[in-house]
Parts: sequence; structure tokens; C-alpha cells
Amino acid sequence: MQQDDIQSFLERFFTAAHCPIVERSDGHIRVQLTVEMDKQLMNRPFYWHYVERIGAIGEPLQLSLITKRSIHEKKGEHIHFGSPRLHQIFSIAKMNGRFVRLYEQVFERSAALHPWLHTNILLSYECDRKQDRLLSLGIHLISGTIVESFYDVLKEKQWGVTVPDYCFTISPLIKPISGLARLEAFVERLIASETHEWADAARARWEEDLALLKHFYEGIEEKQEEYEKEKEALRQRYEPRIHISIINGGVFYLEAK
Amino acid sequence: MNVTMHWERSWKDEFVTRIERDGPWSNWELYELALEATKALTIPQFDGLQAPKHLPHITILPHQYDVARQVVEQMNGKAILADEVGLGKTIEAGLILKEYMIRGLVKKALILVPASLVSQWVQELNEKFFIPAVAQKKSYVWEQCDVVVSSIDTAKKQPHRDIIYEQTYDIVIIDEAHKLKNNKTKNYEFVQGLKKKFCLLLTATPIQNRVEEIFHLVSLLKPGHLGNAEQFQKRYGKLRTLHDDAHLKELIRKVMIRHRRHDTGIEWTKRHVETIFIEFSEAERNVYETIQRFKSPLLDTSLSHMTLLREICSSKEALFCTLKNMLEQKPHLETTISALLQKMNDINEHTKAKKALELIQTINDKVIVFTEYRATQLYLQWFFKQHGISSVPFRGGFKRSKKDWMKELFQHRSQVLIATEAGGEGINLQFCNHVINYDLPWNPMRLEQRIGRVHRLGQTKDVHIYNFVVRNTVEEHIFTLLYEKIQLFERVVGELDDILMKLQSPAFSNHLERIIAQSKSEGELKIKMQNLVEILANTEEQTHAAR
Repeated sequence: MQQDDIQSFLERFFTAAHCPIVERSDGHIRVQLTVEMDKQLMNRPFYWHYVERIGAIGEPLQLSLITKRSIHEKKGEHIHFGSPRLHQIFSIAKMNGRFVRLYEQVFERSAALHPWLHTNILLSYECDRKQDRLLSLGIHLISGTIVESFYDVLKEKQWGVTVPDYCFTISPLIKPISGLARLEAFVERLIASETHEWADAARARWEEDLALLKHFYEGIEEKQEEYEKEKEALRQRYEPRIHISIINGGVFYLEAK
Repeated sequence: MNVTMHWERSWKDEFVTRIERDGPWSNWELYELALEATKALTIPQFDGLQAPKHLPHITILPHQYDVARQVVEQMNGKAILADEVGLGKTIEAGLILKEYMIRGLVKKALILVPASLVSQWVQELNEKFFIPAVAQKKSYVWEQCDVVVSSIDTAKKQPHRDIIYEQTYDIVIIDEAHKLKNNKTKNYEFVQGLKKKFCLLLTATPIQNRVEEIFHLVSLLKPGHLGNAEQFQKRYGKLRTLHDDAHLKELIRKVMIRHRRHDTGIEWTKRHVETIFIEFSEAERNVYETIQRFKSPLLDTSLSHMTLLREICSSKEALFCTLKNMLEQKPHLETTISALLQKMNDINEHTKAKKALELIQTINDKVIVFTEYRATQLYLQWFFKQHGISSVPFRGGFKRSKKDWMKELFQHRSQVLIATEAGGEGINLQFCNHVINYDLPWNPMRLEQRIGRVHRLGQTKDVHIYNFVVRNTVEEHIFTLLYEKIQLFERVVGELDDILMKLQSPAFSNHLERIIAQSKSEGELKIKMQNLVEILANTEEQTHAAR
């Protein structure tokens, strides 16, 4: 995401969160927060606690955000890629879009919609260094076929939360949870089939440092505790591991082709 | 396979619940936004730095970027950052810490710095790096906050020590790490006992006196890298400098990064030095000569009249303070001192102070005036006020908040700041580019520190330095002998560091101090100083030859 993309992201985020944009120009927006969004963003629990205690209706704030550094005439928070506010919004966005059940919007014809389970999966390769990789996997809950980069298929279509007129859904033969288990197994097979030079290199660094450490503490009995501590620190630093987490996912009903 | 896998199961558990309860479900737009937010935060590759993208408002200099990158990519997150003073080691450390936090490899960080720097670190990390660092003030902070800044002196004491040892810090950063050169100290032992997954040691002077200091420093960082103590002593114990052994130098290069000013490629603004000679008024001369005529046995030996002479060159107020103390301790000197005080009464205005006033009025811009004496500081403040110039005082002993406040006042309200102590760990005043050395310190390093307050990264204008020297006094001797001979003022920033470091600067400073405090006559002072300057000149030649 580049600086220029931040504004459109923010506009879409607040619109999706039902916060009206009351002022908009190139590099600046001002939004009217909803009660819900005020509570999530503005960090004033005492106010809301107080309002609710006395049974009054609280007034959510407006938020003015500036996305271009060159703008000084507006009052508001300057937002850039590293600003804590943007990261707060990122984490709310991640939280709010974790689970879906969606139906392809097929218009003016009758169609059978097939169930697919889709998940976006984040793989983090970690040692003393780190790299991420995103997988987008779909599994057909009738046949069990697994499709990689499934998101590319999904994003070309229109989606709604209800079944469109004239369409009907086919029930899954494979339960979504079983589908998920198959995707998990797929990910593990995928990882196992790859060569991991990064991990070999990390282990080599680890062994090298460990040998030095052993040598340093050789013959110093009274420093045993320190040695163990440093040894553990080396493990934590170098031991290669892959952390796998699911970002979001859900069942998608797709017109059969 | 050589890698372990860890599944984060929370999504799955929640998904099961939502299926059972048939929702709630989000819409497509929220689904897309969640994915985009995730994509924005993913780390595309092992190599390179993510942090600069997060910190668009800081100017990261090429050498700072290189340091951060080298530490992450080649040194596996353990390094001694040893750039010379003023090249931005704090920025480098902040950049590395930020990088690891963005990559999710560091969550808990312990930052140990001198007590006087705690709030400055906290402020910089929060404001420049958006790292929510907290100063350790209450003991629960250790457990509840992720990024904690504290002084070593606090941290090593109970109950803190035990609590800290129980935490699992992902990174330990230690500023002014040369204070850990001695492995027999409590501080050293404390740091050695810390678990150090990632670790940064910051120091501008990794070696001050002996090569084995670097052994102790490296052994904190990466035990065994230089062998064990016995082997190191046997193999390198006799070396005087690192340059004497290529193998050792190479080993150290793997754990230490040191940039010198001249290899950063930064264009430094120029220094313009002007010496302003002052002629004493008759009354001032009279007092000066009276002191000169004092017989040494008359006075306390540790306070030779050299001290008194230097004081009257600054102000009669400075001299008066010493005389008053002397009178209390040695009542038998009353006649001598009273006679002197009588003569001091004849001094109405100081020639030096008038000259300073004149200069400040001509400069018509921000000026810092440095003096060695607090009494002079107060006098000047009063004197300038009489002539409609407001000034703010500054002392090393001020609390951080007061220092910040004084800096603020100076920047926005007053034309003049009068400082008694440059303090290597003080404030940065890049917005000012005129310095008056109202009197000269005996230690050239102190003078370098004074100038360093304004002549540092971020200074955009040429720096003007005015040295006030009273003709035919001890001040002129110190000036011509020491400062002129070593051409202190014409040097590039930091060069003096090198030379004094080779001379084992603490020893050098002590020596200088002794010469000035104990010389019984100006003649003696002259000869001793000449000797010293010879040594300096020799060392300098060696330094140049080594380059």
C-alpha cells in the first residue's frame, strides 16, 4: 500500500463501517463516527461509561484525517504508513472482516450455486529474520477439489449476503470444518515439499554461535546458569519455524460452470 | 524436514462457533478490506528494511540505513554500534528496534541508558519511531509494558533485578555501553546475567584504554566470539591498539560497526573561529597583578593562585566566591584577602562583559555563551538584562524537564543562553550557530563538547565561534600554548576524539588539570604545557600516518 492508496482505503473503510464522510478533498477526509466506531477508535471509555450510566445518548466524535504531507491548512491527524492511527484502523479492519458467507449475485437467470470454502492464509517464515507469504485457497465442498489463488476468481464476481432470486444453493457434501482440515493438510504438504534454504542457513548460524558459546563457558562451573540462559536465547533467535494463521475465510456459493 | 510448524487455531475455533450459530457474517467489502490491511502489513522478503516506509518523516542518512541493514542481515541482530559522536546512534538503534517490531520478531524490549537520558529516549522512541516506550517509574512497569527504558543503576537493584530476570526480553539495548568495559563491576555482571536474544550496545568509544576492554564488551554481546578470557589475554593482551592485529580487527568487524565522520560523506557546515583579545582595565589589571604577587606558601597548596588568576579573567564574582570560601577556612589570611577585596571594589564593569554585550548586539541572532563559573553566569545574566537583553541559564545539574524548558525558552523567547556546563549528555541546539567561549576550559575535550551542542547533524548554517582571551594573562598562555598549537578550532569535527583517545584521554585530562592547578608560576605552567603539546603533536603525526 502506497501513501496514495491510504486515502481510498480509509474512505472505503469508513463507508463500510457506516460512518458518513462529511468532508472530502484530495489528501483530506473528515468523517462522522458511529457510536461503535467512536468506542473502537477514540479511546474514551470513561465518557461512554458515564453516558450509559445516566442513560443519555452519547455524541460520537468526528475524525479529521490528512493523508498528504503537503497539507497544512487543514486541522487533523496526519496519516502515513507508520502512524499508529492507521495501524489501529488496520487491526479493526482485520477484525471486522474475518468471517463471511456469501452468494454470487447472478441476475435474471436461474442457477445452481455450489459451496466453496475459501481462506486467506498467512505463512510467516521466522528465525532471526522473517518473511511472510499469503496463500489463498479454495476447496469445492462437493468434489473436494482444491484451487490455489482462489481469491483471483472470487474478486471478479459480485457478492451479496442473500441468495439471489431464481437461484438455489446445493448443500455441501463435505462439511466446512472438514474442508478446512483438508486445506490445513494441503498447506502442510505444500510446506513439506519445499526446500527451505533459509532454515538451513539459520541452523548453520545457530550451530556456529553455539560452538563459540560452549567454548566460552568451558570449565567455568559457577556460570552454568548464565550458559543455559544464553543457550536458550540462541534457540529463540535462530530456531526456524513457520507460523501459520488464517486471516479470514468463509463459505462462498458460486455459480457452477 | 528441518522446520517446525505452528498453527494459530483461534480463527478455526471461532469459525466453528459461527457455523453452529449461523453467523454473524461480514460482507464482501469488509472481507476485502481485511485482506488489504493484512497485505499492507506482510513482510515481502527476508532482506531489506521495512522500517523506513513506516517512518517517512525522519531523514535517514545513508550510513544509518546501512548500519540497520547490516545488523539485521549480516550480524543476526547482535552488534556494537560505535559511530563517532553526533552521527546518530540513537536513530540507528531506533531503526533496528522498529524493524524487528514491524517484523514481529521483537515484542518486549529493555533499553538501559544513563539516568539523565531516560526521558529523552522515551520521547524519541514515541515521537520519532511511534514505539510506545515507557520510562520505568513504578515496579509494575517491568511486567506490564513491552518497551521499557531505565537506567542500569535502577535495573540492577532489587527488587527490580529479580523481576527483570524473570521477563523474556526479545531485545536488550544499552546506551553508553563503554561503561561496561570492566567485567568486575556490578553493572557488567547484571548485563551478563540478562538473556539477550537480540542485543545492541551503543558507544562512541569502544576502547578507551586497553584492548581487553573490547574483549569484555564483545563477550557480553556474543560470548566466545573472541575466545575465552585466558586465550584472549595470551594472544592479544600485549597489543596497544586494534590496528596491530589484522585477525582481531577482522573478528571485531563482524560484531561492531564504526563510522567516522569523514567516511559518512555528509557535508558538514563550516566552523569560523575568531579570537577576540581583551585588554584589562586598570582596575582589573591591578587585581590580577596583586594575585600574581601572592607568595605560594601563603595560600593553600591545592588552590594555587593559578586558579584565582583564571577566575579574575572571568569575573570578580567568580573570584569572590573562592575568596569567601578561603576566608572561612583560613581566617589567618584575612589581611591579604581584605586588601584584595578592596581592590576588587574598584572594578565597576568587566571589559570582557562589555565586549560580549557588544558582540551579541552586533550578531543580532541566537547566541550561546559558555563560562566555567556559575558566579559569572549569574553576573552576565544580570549585566545583559541591564542592557535589555534577556537570557536563560543552563547547567548540567538541571533536571531533564528543566533543561527542555530552558531550551524551549531559548528557542522561542530569548536571544542568549548562558551555560556553565556543556555536558556530553546535554541538549542539542542546532537552531543556534553562534558560540561565545567567555572563558576557556582546561580540557580541549570539554571545548569540543561545547561546540558539539551546535555543530552537529541538523545544523544547516556555518558555525561561528568566538574565543575571548584576556591579553597578558594565564588565559592567553593556555590559549596560545594549547589551543593554538593543536589547532583545535580548525579541525574537522571528531578528529580530536581520535587523538585524545590514543593518548588515553582520562590520563591526559588529569595531567592537564594538574598542570594548571598546581603550577606555582606562569613560567612553570608554560614549560609544562609546552611538553604536553609536544606529545600531542607526536600522536597526531602517528594518527595521520596510520590513515
